[in-house]
Amino acid sequence: MLAIALPLEVLPEPETSHAGAVLIELGIILLVLAALGRVAARLGIPSIPLYLLAGLVMGDGGFIPVSAGEEFLEVGAEIGVVLLLLLLGLEYSPEDLRNGLKSNWAAGLLDGVANAVPGFAVGLMLGWSPTAALLLAGVTYISSSGIIARLLDDFDRVANRETPVLLSLLVMEDIVMAVFLPIVAVLLVGASLVQGAIAAGVALGIVALAFVISMRFSHHVSRLVHSRSRELLLLGVLGLTFLVAGLADAVQVSAAVGAFLLGLTLSGQVADDVRTLLPPLRDVFGGLFFVFFGLMIDPRDLIPVLLPALALALVTAVTKIYTGMWAAKRNGIGPKGQWRTGLSLVPRGEFSIVIAGLGVAAGAESQLGPFTAAYVLILAVTGSLLMRFANKIPPPGTWWGASTSPARAPSPGATPSRVTGRAQRDAST
Amino acid sequence: MNIYETPLPGIGVRYEFQAEGGDHVGVVVRRDGKRDIALYDREDPDSCKGTVELSEGDASKVAELLGGTNITARLDTLSHMVEGLSIEWVTMPAVGGLTDKTIGDGRIRTETSASVVAVIRGDDGIPGPEPDFTLRAGDTVLVMGGADAVRSATSILTG
Repeated sequence: MLAIALPLEVLPEPETSHAGAVLIELGIILLVLAALGRVAARLGIPSIPLYLLAGLVMGDGGFIPVSAGEEFLEVGAEIGVVLLLLLLGLEYSPEDLRNGLKSNWAAGLLDGVANAVPGFAVGLMLGWSPTAALLLAGVTYISSSGIIARLLDDFDRVANRETPVLLSLLVMEDIVMAVFLPIVAVLLVGASLVQGAIAAGVALGIVALAFVISMRFSHHVSRLVHSRSRELLLLGVLGLTFLVAGLADAVQVSAAVGAFLLGLTLSGQVADDVRTLLPPLRDVFGGLFFVFFGLMIDPRDLIPVLLPALALALVTAVTKIYTGMWAAKRNGIGPKGQWRTGLSLVPRGEFSIVIAGLGVAAGAESQLGPFTAAYVLILAVTGSLLMRFANKIPPPGTWWGASTSPARAPSPGATPSRVTGRAQRDAST
Repeated sequence: MNIYETPLPGIGVRYEFQAEGGDHVGVVVRRDGKRDIALYDREDPDSCKGTVELSEGDASKVAELLGGTNITARLDTLSHMVEGLSIEWVTMPAVGGLTDKTIGDGRIRTETSASVVAVIRGDDGIPGPEPDFTLRAGDTVLVMGGADAVRSATSILTG
């Protein structure tokens, strides 16, 4: 670990103003993230787990005290969540969502049951409240589309024939999250069952309405914020995003969902421009969010939850692999491709932390934060390694001396594809 | 030859076909215009042996080399002369010209002999718009005709 043990308390008090102290702390934090990002790139693992670790070793019980900058970090973390979800929404066109829901819903259902139930069960076993257990179910259910999409690109697997299956599962998970977050947000307020049901109904109604608006009126909203000037576009998009996220938060739908729905709504030229403009901003504030999450956790609290987190990580890695293999098999993918699909679903990351962060902010369960941190650390790293070596790890069919069945001729008709109209085009005359 | 098209949510579209020699070839067209060409493994038909990433410029170069149609490349340049025929893509201004008026209001065919072939609005192409079709700011209008006719039609459209 980097030994920048710089207790700011030793600085003579009157000489640094508050602003100065905040800037110094932020500077140190960002430099630590920059150094860790390099380490992650060198090791070939995603940077999220390292940012989490950075947060853990700072703050209470850590080595680097953070005091002055904490307030800014908290706001920065919130902005990070909003930007993460906005760009996730921008990744998908409404068409993608419709296709995702239509094609693989059975696999999506299996995905939900097989991966959420273990989390829920372990939460109850640890003696948590049902709400906290439900949050943990969300943590174990949602794979990290950010990590997975990046690694698919890095390992040159975008064109693989199993990739659409994998992506459609991820789309479905993200849609489920948009519905799941408002329900949890309502439950966390601690409303009674009837109040909760009504509030959840209202929240879901708002989400459904936003979906309809995003499908119908997307170009109006997009035209509202579009500008050729990067400055004006950025101001318009960020302003609209924060406003929508804040309003969503005010009506208990959670800021993250508001930002996600706005991302779905923006389309066309605006979406393209924002997709190129915002990622650096998202990465900085997203980094702050992971650090802040780690900062809220005393590393000494990790020790008691380490074993259950490890056990749950193992179980939910197996259930994800099974889900992926089953979905790929149904789509006519061969044994090796099935194995790759399964292994690629294992990484958990940013959205598990977003879900747990809601609970931590509401003070739902003291162990939820440390447990999720340990769980994500384990699965972000091992999941990435499994993806990297997917072709080197023999599929389960070969473990007992049986050879893999010879690859069948691919049947593209089994994937949700269609023959294009350009199939019979003549060469140029 | 059949070309199969598969949507890749969040990335783009993948096209694949089987070449006459038996090799499987895939092309991923990403939303940012980059293209990947992939060759599939004969042992494991679901996986690529390797991919080549091409920028938009690279892709059109490769298409030229492969004897692709020159027409698409010609339409990409803003206007091109094809033996006395001129083609122009006109973007409608925010105000003025025929913006928020119908095509018939401009009397383009009568005045200039050029014709409005299609209008592109957002992601939709509208071929052969009727005279009562109302143009909006930001529409792209495809005008065809003689070089002079297209020039004067453009000035009517943009005011």
